[in-house]
Amino acid sequence: MMKNGKVMKTLLKRDLLYALYSWGYYGAIFASFLASSFLLKNFLDAIREEDILVSAFPLNYPLYITLIVISLYLVIMSAISISREREQGTLEVLFYGPVTPASFLWSRYLKDLTLGILALAFTALYFYVASVLTNLGFTIGLAKALIMGIFLISCVVSFGLFISSLTGRMRSSIITLMAILGAFLAIQFVYNMLLGIEKESLSPSLLYLRQTTSYLFRGINWISPFAYLSRGLDSVILENRTLYVTHVLYCVIYSLVFVFLSIYTMGKRGVKA
Amino acid sequence: MKWYRYGVLLLVGMLTLGGSLAIAQPESPFKEQLVYSLTSFNGSSFSKNFCPQSEDTIYLIAHENSVVTPVKTIVYYWPITRRYMAGFSTLNERINGKLEIVHNGKVIATQPEQKYVLYYPKGYWSEKAVMYLDEEAENYYKKYKQAVDVFNQKLREYYQAMERYREVLNRFFEEVRRRREAGEEGPLNIPIPKEPKAPDFVDFYTSEPASGFILNLPPGKYEIRLRRDDGTIFEGSEKKLFVFTSRRKGGVGYEIIPGNRWTKKENCDDPSWIIHAVGKNDLYFNPYKQEEYNELYYNKLVDPQEIGRLERFKWVHIDPIENVTLLFGRGKEILQTVERTPYFVKQIPGPELGYEIIQYDEELKKKGYQPTFESYKVSLPPHLPKTDYQISLVSSGSGQPEEKSERTVRMLKKENAPYLYLVAFLPLFVGVVTIIGRATKIEK
Repeated sequence: MMKNGKVMKTLLKRDLLYALYSWGYYGAIFASFLASSFLLKNFLDAIREEDILVSAFPLNYPLYITLIVISLYLVIMSAISISREREQGTLEVLFYGPVTPASFLWSRYLKDLTLGILALAFTALYFYVASVLTNLGFTIGLAKALIMGIFLISCVVSFGLFISSLTGRMRSSIITLMAILGAFLAIQFVYNMLLGIEKESLSPSLLYLRQTTSYLFRGINWISPFAYLSRGLDSVILENRTLYVTHVLYCVIYSLVFVFLSIYTMGKRGVKA
Repeated sequence: MKWYRYGVLLLVGMLTLGGSLAIAQPESPFKEQLVYSLTSFNGSSFSKNFCPQSEDTIYLIAHENSVVTPVKTIVYYWPITRRYMAGFSTLNERINGKLEIVHNGKVIATQPEQKYVLYYPKGYWSEKAVMYLDEEAENYYKKYKQAVDVFNQKLREYYQAMERYREVLNRFFEEVRRRREAGEEGPLNIPIPKEPKAPDFVDFYTSEPASGFILNLPPGKYEIRLRRDDGTIFEGSEKKLFVFTSRRKGGVGYEIIPGNRWTKKENCDDPSWIIHAVGKNDLYFNPYKQEEYNELYYNKLVDPQEIGRLERFKWVHIDPIENVTLLFGRGKEILQTVERTPYFVKQIPGPELGYEIIQYDEELKKKGYQPTFESYKVSLPPHLPKTDYQISLVSSGSGQPEEKSERTVRMLKKENAPYLYLVAFLPLFVGVVTIIGRATKIEK
């Protein structure tokens, strides 16, 4: 157990430093902030002089986008590194030593989570400065949503690890991951978009599409990590502490289930590409 | 010969199509149907509608009286509004029997018909109504009839008094004319006749007593059906009944009339919603007690043929809040204390096609104008520091704050919006420092 912990710590340190000294990590955060700035500027431009705009938490949507960009980057980078190590045989060499699937995958999970928390710290700073500049308001609700973001990142990372443990080659790993997470996002986005339109305004084909996406959304509701984020943000808006804690618990359970599934799959499947 | 074959095929096809069209007679658009006439409690008043055969579920609010009345009527489809309409004026046949309420497969109640009235304490057009049953219903209706009789009596007296007044007035003018013609100057000292005051109409309203099945149930899924006196179930009377309750209640919602577009009102209902503004503004607030319902259930309650989204919730304004004072302030500092005031929207003549919202005063009253609306006006001056402000309500009498009436009015610094792109470079800056720092360290 002690040995496993030490191995995990060594792997975690190695991977974490590798990520922190690479441009990609900062580039991903920059891209997400750029998208947020664009959204916030549009929001401000929408309010004309002598007019008002009633809205709840205008920073929540940019936060949502930021979280998605950061978590997608982390999960894809993680999948690439696992597959690369598998393809190059590094994983096999490591597993001849004291490294086990559990220590390897836990170190990956904790590395991504740490990077995610660091990215959220950047996000908090970004929103704070944005609030000072524009008075959009850095509220307790936003702080709660940021904390909820840690659990979303945990869900995405654990789900990504599971997919990486299932696939062998780097290309198939990335394609599978992108396809599944992209589909989750697309279903959620299309469903929410169509939900916002009154039924009378929808053509029959869009009506069927809405019904179809509604069924699909219900189907992925407990699998898609992004659905957990939406529910978590809803609990912040509702100011319901019980609901908030329940969603945090759901996220923890989700993450644990997928990390253990990944360990099990890697143990069964082996480390060869 | 090919053209000949195609011609025969075309002819056969046309004949077959024509034959089938001739056989398929168009269905009559008018159908005799058993429908449920509904008087459903909607939070503050009662919505009147009907549930045709096309809808299998009736939606009602829990623990409140609502009425369902089975009626045989003519139903037809109106394609313009894409809904079924009922021709109650053509056929309105009441169905006798008892209403059975089924829950989890068991009959939990058998309802006989009951008499009811709807009592509107502030008149027929007011938003609030109360339902009274049986003897109480009769009493309230009698009270209304008596009030109307008293009014009619006063009206007759008023007309008589007006007739007398006109006669006296004519005599008065005649006297003035006669004395002026006689050369009298200065004040004539003739008492001016006083015009009689018209009586005020009855300030409340009670509907005529009607009968139906009163449903007052806890939340849940039920079924209803009509059992005839001979013990059989009336065909087509079976309906699902969905009784629901609000998700959140007890808060205050605001209807906001922005000074620059008074016909396009905004709502700030959810306590988490923030009113964002950028500059000078006049905002007129109307507070309401409110409850939050599922959009689909509530829409179906008001009209069973209406649509809605199961995933969405909507705030429903229950009662306007009166006898309160609106406070506008920053932190603990109160900047404006606002009372409810009547306002008049004055159209500005000329090519500008604008309007002006002015306070309703005695002068306007004398001219016979009525107030356009009553509201709490909060003025945001142009040089108000750009920070967060709060509005809240306190009771005018006790000064007690109204629960969940607080909202934030956020003055945004719109001019700083372009700098947001600069802030986005923050992680890149940190990345440069980290990576270059490490490279320098390795080189050393």
